[in-house]
Amino acid sequence: MRRLQYLFMTLSMLCLATPAFAQSAGGGSSSLVPVGAGIGMGIAAGLCGIGQGRAAGSASEAVARNPGARPAIMLFLVLGLAFIESLSLFTFVIILLKAK
Amino acid sequence: MLPLINALTALLNHWFAAPIVAVMTTLGIHPAHSTHPITNPITMQLIVMALLILFFLAARISLNVEKPNSIQHTAEFIHEFVSNQAEQVIGHGYERFMPFVTTILLFVLICNFFGLLPGFETPTADPVAPLGIAILTFIYYNFHGVRVQGPLNYVKHFAGPIWWISWLMFPIEIISHLARIMSLTIRLFANMLASDLITLVAFSLIPIVVPVLGLGLHFAVSLIQAYIFMLLAMIYLAMAVTHEEEASI
Repeated sequence: MRRLQYLFMTLSMLCLATPAFAQSAGGGSSSLVPVGAGIGMGIAAGLCGIGQGRAAGSASEAVARNPGARPAIMLFLVLGLAFIESLSLFTFVIILLKAK
Repeated sequence: MLPLINALTALLNHWFAAPIVAVMTTLGIHPAHSTHPITNPITMQLIVMALLILFFLAARISLNVEKPNSIQHTAEFIHEFVSNQAEQVIGHGYERFMPFVTTILLFVLICNFFGLLPGFETPTADPVAPLGIAILTFIYYNFHGVRVQGPLNYVKHFAGPIWWISWLMFPIEIISHLARIMSLTIRLFANMLASDLITLVAFSLIPIVVPVLGLGLHFAVSLIQAYIFMLLAMIYLAMAVTHEEEASI
């Protein structure tokens, strides 16, 4: 029952939202590129944040367990962060290329 | 200072535009502006190059065992930092690669710091500059890989340890080596462009005080990106030069 309620609420929201969609499509000159760019960059940044958070968390745990291995852990941490970050930067570059 | 750079760019274009365009056209490259092919970022890179050469010359001339001056202290600090990293990553025989990786570190660092000056675009936020350094790194580590291991062993190194899967590994390894150029370029270029844009956005929202935070971020990103570029060059060198198999990054 609860689930049906949610479904109908969502559908009613979508019914209310149709004028907004029609407006953006009917305008002709406005494009959906900024919306897509925002959504794509949001997903990329969020998932990149999860990945970097996991890496940084594991690194701080490792340093807490074995403070002697700090330089090597820092090396791997910085490298890992650079590789994770570059994936979201690829998204950024694609958006820059497409959203001219 | 910005008018100075603009004037220098105009001067360089006045002198060198015709020969540069001629050379590029024979190579099959057509510059976007045939009358002024040299842009501001390239002028800034030339300035950084001149500054680095002056710095190294000054450090070389003023070398002194008894009374080291400040330039020597700076140079020794940089050398110690880079050689510590290189010893950790490359290990035995790292001294040979020190000039290359130190130059990468200093060049990228100073180019990134150029963007901190108000009104300047960062030279490395132009994709041409990182691409040049990345291609140079690619050629350099492949050259040293061939030199140390010999051509046949180096090519065999691409095929992986298991012979019956090597037909699959070989193209994948070649593509991943070529993708290193792309990833090195895009990492530096996109980071610097993004931090430039953040400063610009902060400036357009609240023009007082807040853009300084963006500049602080730009400073930190400059340091980290220069360090990472140097570190990756070292890792690629280490993977090309060492004989035993390592996990590919």
